[in-house]
Amino acid sequence: MSKIMTLEVLSSIKGAKSSEAVNELFEVIKKAVPLSSGGDFLQSGVQSAVSLNSLRDDVVIASSEEERRLIRENFPKEKKGFLVVSKVIED
Amino acid sequence: MSSEIVKVHEDLKAGKISCVQLIQERLKALKNSSNNTANYLLTEFAMERASKVDEKIKNGEEIGLFEGIPFGIKDVYLLQGQYASASSDFLRNYKSPYTATAIQKLLDAGAIPIVKENCDSFGHGSSTENTVFGASKNALNEELVAGGSSGGSAVNVAKGYTVFSIGGDTGGSIRQPAGYNKVYGLKPTYGRISRYGLMAYASSTDCVGPISKSLEDILLLLNVMSGKDYHDQTSFESEQISLGVIEKQIRGNEFKIGYYKNFIENKALDPELKKDFIKFIETLKSNGVEVKELDFFDGNILVSTYYMLAMAETASNLARLDGTNYGVRHSSDSLKEGYAITRSENFTEETKRRIVGGNQVLSHGHAEEIYLKARTLREQIKEQFDKEFTEVDIILSPVSTGKPPKIGETLKDPLAMYLSDAYTVGFSLGGLPTLTSPLVTETGIQITSAKGQEEKILKFAKYIKDIVE
Repeated sequence: MSKIMTLEVLSSIKGAKSSEAVNELFEVIKKAVPLSSGGDFLQSGVQSAVSLNSLRDDVVIASSEEERRLIRENFPKEKKGFLVVSKVIED
Repeated sequence: MSSEIVKVHEDLKAGKISCVQLIQERLKALKNSSNNTANYLLTEFAMERASKVDEKIKNGEEIGLFEGIPFGIKDVYLLQGQYASASSDFLRNYKSPYTATAIQKLLDAGAIPIVKENCDSFGHGSSTENTVFGASKNALNEELVAGGSSGGSAVNVAKGYTVFSIGGDTGGSIRQPAGYNKVYGLKPTYGRISRYGLMAYASSTDCVGPISKSLEDILLLLNVMSGKDYHDQTSFESEQISLGVIEKQIRGNEFKIGYYKNFIENKALDPELKKDFIKFIETLKSNGVEVKELDFFDGNILVSTYYMLAMAETASNLARLDGTNYGVRHSSDSLKEGYAITRSENFTEETKRRIVGGNQVLSHGHAEEIYLKARTLREQIKEQFDKEFTEVDIILSPVSTGKPPKIGETLKDPLAMYLSDAYTVGFSLGGLPTLTSPLVTETGIQITSAKGQEEKILKFAKYIKDIVE
């Protein structure tokens, strides 16, 4: 089932609406005519991603005790020694 | 040699000043400054390190070139245990769990960070007015903006509060404030310096770079911070650049120079900046430098391509800020409502504009018409750069379309702010190294070369210095 999401929902920002300044930039792109000699980035296979051969090994590196302490300190809500997260809802 | 790093190093070694005294003086200057460049002073952190440097000197031990040198960090970098707010309410009390790679390399060399510097929130701006810490003021005239987004960093260097500062450049955020405050600012080749520990704005163009008063210091800092990093897979290994390349006499006929004719014919370009730029091109020609006129993409296309991609990337990067793991959290009856209130109340208006714009760009319908087209345009821009650099060594351009505006003017007209980035964003899309030299025009001159060619840029900047000064 297709469902149209509003900008407010997409951005998780109350009252989010499109801006005139940004719309002007959209118009420039819509009207832009790419060079006939240049490749479409999807067709040409030009990608900015790191190649598979250069990927680092998938290893777990333990964080330091200080790093863990700071992560806990940064957590917005704690109760009886537990880090409190919101209930997950589905709708 | 005009390196301030070397000068301070010699003073420390000769006992002309102690490191504690040096750090105290700079911290005091920052505290008493009316330029509003400091989000957090790192007093305790810095003083502890300064004492250790003095102890080494007292014991007759050698100190390294960077040991005891006070520097500033744009407040988008992580420094373990210290605040990193991105000039936002969202992260005003956030403490860095680890240290950014580039900053760690400077710490390892012995440099001492003394301040987390004011900037546009999450790098979203060109004036350092989009900040919850209040606008930074220009080093040369406090009625004018500092430039942005690394405005606090450029002002601190220009005022001498820091010996150097580390800015971040996504679409011109080091180069433009460097020009506005008459200091040097380098955006290196994308990937030359690791981005690990830099809060992501637009990951495909984000760069770490130095701001300083001298070319020598830019070179020294580039050497210290460059290199491949396990934590940033886009980073790469690079050669160190010898100081000798900018110490010897440089001849103009070593270079082939290009400049974009349409940049100079742009109606938005300030007439005085234009006049000074053209006059300099004539000076180069009369000095035997080969200069070629080039054509490039229209400024509006460059700006729009850059902002479409940057907004799409920042919307994705900032999606993680929902109050769950860090930052501020507003609880509500429902999870979605909690997210929405948290984000609505803690992002600035400009940041919200970019997030919403980015989500539009990526949404069904727009993704094909705008995002994918912008990606294609970017590839064509990169291809054209590749072609240009088979014909010329260096491309020169103005840094900004205008002179620094008065504080309060920029954020009123976001479109004008975006368009004012016309001369910097193209080089960011190309991932090219580019330096602002504070010479030639009132807002400096931008010197760009092919990827990995920072040495050529530094040499040509030295040549400019020799013929202008």
